Amino acid sequence: MERKAKKKLSENILDKFTIDFLRSQVLKNAYGNDDTMIAKLDPRILIVWYLFLGLVPWFVSDIYFLLGCFLLVVATTMLARVAGLVLFLFGIGVFSQTGYLFIVTLLFGGDASAIVPLLTLTLKVACCSLASITVFSGLDPDRLSNGLMWFGCPERLSFSISYAYRILPMLMEEFQNILLSFRLRGNPPASQTFWGKVKYLAYQVKTIMHAFYPLMLNTAKRSRTTVEALEIKGYRLAATDKRVKKMRLASLKVTWDDLMFLAVSFLWISLSILASTIF
Amino acid sequence: MNIIEVQNLTYSYPAAKEPVLKNLSLEIEKGDFLAIVGNNGCGKSTLCKTLNGLIPHFITGDFEGKVTVDGLDTRENDVGTLACRAGYVYQDFENQIVRPTVLDDASYACMNYAMEDYRERGQEALSLCGLEGREDDYIWQLSGGQTHLLALAGAVSLRPEILILDEPIAQLDPSHADRIYEVLRKLNEEYGKTIIVIEHHTEYIADYCRHVVLMKDGQVRWKLPAREALSRVDELRDCNIFPPQVTAAARSLQGKGVRLPDGPLPTTVEEGRKYFDGLVWDGACPACAQAKGDEQGGSQSASPSAVEFRDVSMAFRSVKGEDRVVFDGLNLKVERGEKIALIGSNGAGKSTLMKLMVGLLKPQAGEVLLDGESIRRKKTESLSRKISLVFQNPEEMFIKDSIEADIAFAMQARGVENWKERTEQLLEQFRLTELRDRDGRLLSGGQMRRASLAIGIALNPGILLLDEPTANLDMATRREIMEALEAMKEVTETVMIATHDMQLVCEWAKRIVVLYQGRVVADGDRDEIFGREEVARLVGIRPPEIFTMGRALDERAYCYTVDEFTAAFRR
Repeated sequence: MERKAKKKLSENILDKFTIDFLRSQVLKNAYGNDDTMIAKLDPRILIVWYLFLGLVPWFVSDIYFLLGCFLLVVATTMLARVAGLVLFLFGIGVFSQTGYLFIVTLLFGGDASAIVPLLTLTLKVACCSLASITVFSGLDPDRLSNGLMWFGCPERLSFSISYAYRILPMLMEEFQNILLSFRLRGNPPASQTFWGKVKYLAYQVKTIMHAFYPLMLNTAKRSRTTVEALEIKGYRLAATDKRVKKMRLASLKVTWDDLMFLAVSFLWISLSILASTIF
Repeated sequence: MNIIEVQNLTYSYPAAKEPVLKNLSLEIEKGDFLAIVGNNGCGKSTLCKTLNGLIPHFITGDFEGKVTVDGLDTRENDVGTLACRAGYVYQDFENQIVRPTVLDDASYACMNYAMEDYRERGQEALSLCGLEGREDDYIWQLSGGQTHLLALAGAVSLRPEILILDEPIAQLDPSHADRIYEVLRKLNEEYGKTIIVIEHHTEYIADYCRHVVLMKDGQVRWKLPAREALSRVDELRDCNIFPPQVTAAARSLQGKGVRLPDGPLPTTVEEGRKYFDGLVWDGACPACAQAKGDEQGGSQSASPSAVEFRDVSMAFRSVKGEDRVVFDGLNLKVERGEKIALIGSNGAGKSTLMKLMVGLLKPQAGEVLLDGESIRRKKTESLSRKISLVFQNPEEMFIKDSIEADIAFAMQARGVENWKERTEQLLEQFRLTELRDRDGRLLSGGQMRRASLAIGIALNPGILLLDEPTANLDMATRREIMEALEAMKEVTETVMIATHDMQLVCEWAKRIVVLYQGRVVADGDRDEIFGREEVARLVGIRPPEIFTMGRALDERAYCYTVDEFTAAFRR
């Protein structure tokens, strides 16, 4: 039973790590969680919240405070239902930042006492990363761009963000199809031996690089229509029109939920500061 | 009252030597439903872009003459003002959608023009276009037909008097196409909008349009009431437009000296019923017998099937909620030497089926066998000498910077000895020698198709799969593709085509497989498929018009082409 499960797991991992999987994960991350509590929050509140949790931990080394922040962002990440791949990348990221240092320390005769300073660093990195993940992945891109606009970011930036999310699925599909063309007509090296596997991997990487050229040209071809359509839809006109900006931002509203979220966060941070003064 | 007046318009694109539009004049009445027809590259789209001011405001170039839209001179008014008078839906409509969610996109233009009631306008446009209830959906959750309706809603939301649509149904199955045209008819009849479509499906013109403009070489040949226009069969054919089959049949019978009523030729089945009244069906005619005889030729050898699906199940992960099941326990055998047409509505799983056959997708359960061997453990690359797939979108086949390199790519990668000669020969065969150094993406629609076919058969595969090979093509290009298919007969024994083009199906296929919701609901020759009306109704496919015409005259008549019809009916 267990072996079967194990086999299935390894098969699953190999099976799943395809462009298709990547695509579905990216899409899931971008659009799949618009009904979570985090996604419903006012983007301005969330941006302020992020500015605090993304910056302050860098300047504080108190372990209780950092631990408090960490637990808070873990909770919000869970609330935001972030896609698995992003969390996986986060794990790798944190390890490559600090985890390996611990192993190196042990290898060169250090002992467990190295944990504490490393833990502080790890917590700082983890805290900021998770806060970013919560905001940028949990929040609907469109709301995020509205929030940024409220804080005075130029219209062009916020349009780019939401347009990027609009064409993302198209772009990924196009990319996938071009890769399929390579697969249909290419001839990769055999991958039985170890050396073969290395060559196979190199071939795959090369293919992905080659696929960019047709991808760019196809996208450029498509965007001709998009540019004309934007002109018809008055995009250029609106960028300079103050009334339009006001209309767009009218949809932002701070509700009780937002205040509750801020209050709970504030309370929790205060508690962790209290804890650090007591112990 | 004329809502559009074009006077002596001559226009050439920047850096082009020849003008696209030459001294063109045209008047369009308010409330008209007008079709513009003409061969590829005759300036139809260019004309339409002068109507909404994109030319000359956004696309510059040499502009002479005068265009008046709803009383406004296009040179003196900006694109924004004109967009509120004339809405435009592109042929590649999905690139016209710029926002992630449905309501957002429909109301985007109104917001940009600072209209306070932009949400209501978007909402109103959506319900006019039949998209109520989809407001908060993401645009990639819509089907092709719905995406087109959304593009239309985006234009309608500005409440323009004129709507211009470039090839609205080119990529849609008949039921989606009907829906688009029903919406257009409602906008025209109930809301008094003037509708202009660029269209080469003359059956739809006959059913819905009031006037037809024929363009040739940058000029308007004539503007006539639809029925009269479509009766000019020879002129339409000169411009590479298929007249409606009913009209073509009437013209052909006239030519044979069969006595028929005077007056305009019929353009729809309804009109044909009256017009052909009194003709009798001759079931014993040689054409009918021959058509029957052809079908018996299927090979029944003991060798394994070329392709076999055994209980194949396939589902796609969806972003939210349940996975989307495409196939659940699909069984299908494809014998060597068969000519199969795969039909079914958009999203029935046609493309997925083909991708499973070449190993680009692996089924979750069941087996796909090629020449009796399972391909589960095989790499796609190792199958490509046996089976080849030509994508629906030719652009995705071009992975190099010239078509010569593209054709040679697969052979070079496999070290085919005489790849140079073979490339040369393929370029010759598909009349691409002159274009060999060009990037495939920059070719015209027909050239792109030819190039993609050449790429597809470079490795001499025994089985060839074609996904929608005739979509968006005019008559001349379509004929070319058919000829190319004919020419490949010696090499590729087995061919499967996924298509909505029922004329192609009836002229070419020996076996027809109908997919519906991931199941094969019908499988047989054309008599078995089109003879059973319940299948057609269930799946939303429609036999060629001439078939319906034939059966309307005589229940026993199964005529699939105009030639069969004219051979079988006599006075």
